[in-house]
Amino acid sequence: MISLFLDTSCHMMTIAIYKGKRQLYFFEEENKNDLSIKLIPKVKEIMEALQLYVTDIEKVFVVNGPGSFTGLRIGLSFAKTLAWALNIPIVPISELEFLATTDGTPYIVPMIDARRDAIYAALYTADLKPIIEDVYIKREEFLEKVKEYREHITFVSLDDFPSLPVVRPKVNVTKIIEKYIDRVGVDVHTLIPNYLKKTEAEEKLNGTSV
Amino acid sequence: MEDIYILAIESSCDETSCSIVKNGCEDISTVVLSQIDIHKLYGGVVPEIASRMHIEVITKAIEEALFKSALTMSDIDAIAVTYAPGLIGSLLVGVTAAKTLSYVYNKPLIPVHHIAGHIYANNLVAPMEFPLLALVVSGGHTELVYMKYDYDFEVIGSTLDDAVGEVYDKVARVLDLPYPGGPKIDALARLGEDTYTLPLPLDDDSYNFSFSGLKSAVINLKHNEEQRGHKIVKENLATSFQNRVIEIICKKTLRALKEYQCNHLVLAGGVSASQGLREALKNLCSKNNINLIYPDLKYCTDNATMIGAAGYYAYKIGKRADLTLNAKATEFLH
Repeated sequence: MISLFLDTSCHMMTIAIYKGKRQLYFFEEENKNDLSIKLIPKVKEIMEALQLYVTDIEKVFVVNGPGSFTGLRIGLSFAKTLAWALNIPIVPISELEFLATTDGTPYIVPMIDARRDAIYAALYTADLKPIIEDVYIKREEFLEKVKEYREHITFVSLDDFPSLPVVRPKVNVTKIIEKYIDRVGVDVHTLIPNYLKKTEAEEKLNGTSV
Repeated sequence: MEDIYILAIESSCDETSCSIVKNGCEDISTVVLSQIDIHKLYGGVVPEIASRMHIEVITKAIEEALFKSALTMSDIDAIAVTYAPGLIGSLLVGVTAAKTLSYVYNKPLIPVHHIAGHIYANNLVAPMEFPLLALVVSGGHTELVYMKYDYDFEVIGSTLDDAVGEVYDKVARVLDLPYPGGPKIDALARLGEDTYTLPLPLDDDSYNFSFSGLKSAVINLKHNEEQRGHKIVKENLATSFQNRVIEIICKKTLRALKEYQCNHLVLAGGVSASQGLREALKNLCSKNNINLIYPDLKYCTDNATMIGAAGYYAYKIGKRADLTLNAKATEFLH
C-alpha cells in the first residue's frame, strides 16, 4: 500500500511517501510563506521521481493541527480533495504528536508558541502514548500541570522559550506510520483543521479566552 | 462544435461554490453554500471565520455539483477557479482544491479573475455582444470595464475609496439596519422621498468613483439633525442617498458608453440586484438606445457558475495556470 504523509502546519513543510511501513521518500523544507505555490508541485515531483502516479496513492496521513491556520488550510484543502478524488482513506495526525516523535525519554512535551503567553502543548510518552492531550493553554499553567514529570521531560519545539531547555524537533514519520497504518480513515467531508483555538471574533462574541 | 464542460470553484469571500457550466452559457449544476447567517452575528464578514467555513465544505460542494450534473470527472474538460481578488485565506481553499483536481484528473487549470466572473454572469442570460461596457458594482468593487471583444478587459474607472456595496452597508449601519444592509436601503429608498441635501460624489471628468464623502455626509447629517432634536426620516434619507449614488453612476456610465462607442451595457456584481439601480439604468438605456443586460438575481452574488462561464472563454483563448498557481488578495483585472 502506497501512502502519502503531509505536514504543512508549522515552520516546516514535510512530505513523505511510504510503501507499507517502509519509507520511500522523505522531504522536509522550511516553510517560507510560499506553501501554496510549492506544495502540490513538490508532491508531483516526488511521485515522478519514484515513478509512481498520483493514482497509486492509497491512503493519506495529514497533520491537521494545531499550528498555522493558513498552513493547515492549504494542507487540508489538498489532502481532502486528493482523498475525495481518489476515494481513499484520510487519517488526521496531531502536529504535537508528530513533534513528539523526536527522541526523548521518558516523557516528551511538544510545544508550539501560540502568542500572548499561550502555547499549544501535550505530554506524551516516548512511545507516543498521550498523558495530557493536545491543549491550548497559558504556558505557566501548563508547566504547573506537568510539574510532577518535570525532571523527566524533554521539551521539543521550534520556538524559543527563554526559561525552558528546549530541544529542536527531529521528527520521525515512520513512528507515526507504524502507529496509524491500520487506522480507519475519517469522513473526508467533515475533516477540519484542529485549530484548538477559536477565532478572536468568536472569543469576543462569547466572552471566552484562555 | 464539441461541447465544453468546465468545473468551476469560487471561494473568494463568504460563499463556497462549485458549478459545472457547458459552453460558457449553460448552468448544468450549481452548488452555493453561503455563510451569511454566521457573519450576521458579527455585523460583517470575519475573514478567519470565512476561511474556516470554506475548508469545512469544499469537498462537499464539489461532490454535490458533480452529483447534480449527472456527469463524471471524465466528462469535464477543464477546472476553472477564482484566484483573485478576495480574502486570501478563503481564496486559498478554492485554489488548492482546484489545483488538486487538475493534478489528479490531469485537466487544464484556468485561473479566473473574480470580476471577469461577475461580468460573464451576463453570458448566462444572453450571449454578450461587443464592444461592450460593463458596470461592476459589488461589496468589494465599483468599476467601469471596456471590452472590445471576448475576454479582453480594460478598466477605465474604479472606486478611489469604498466600493459602492460597502457604502450601502455602512449607511445601513448608520440607519440601524442589520447586516447585510444594502438590500434594506434599496427597499427603504422605494418608500421615501428625496428630501435631504447630500453631495453628488466625485462629479469630475474621470470615470472613477468616490463614495466615502457621501458616506461622511450621511453620518454628519444624521448627527446634526439629532443634535437639533429632529428625528431622521429613514426612508427619505435612504432615497436621498441612493439617488445620489445612482445619479453619479448613470452619469459616468452614459459618458463612457458614448466615448467608447458601445451599444451594449452589462451590469455585474451584488449591487446589480438593486431595483433602484436597475430601473435607473433601464431608463437610461432605453432613452439612449443601448442594449442592457443584467444577470439573474441568483447570479448577482458570488457563485461558481459565473466563474465557469468566464472560464470557458479563458479556456478558448488558451489561458492556463500550472500547479504553482497562487491566490492573490488584490489583482488588477486584465
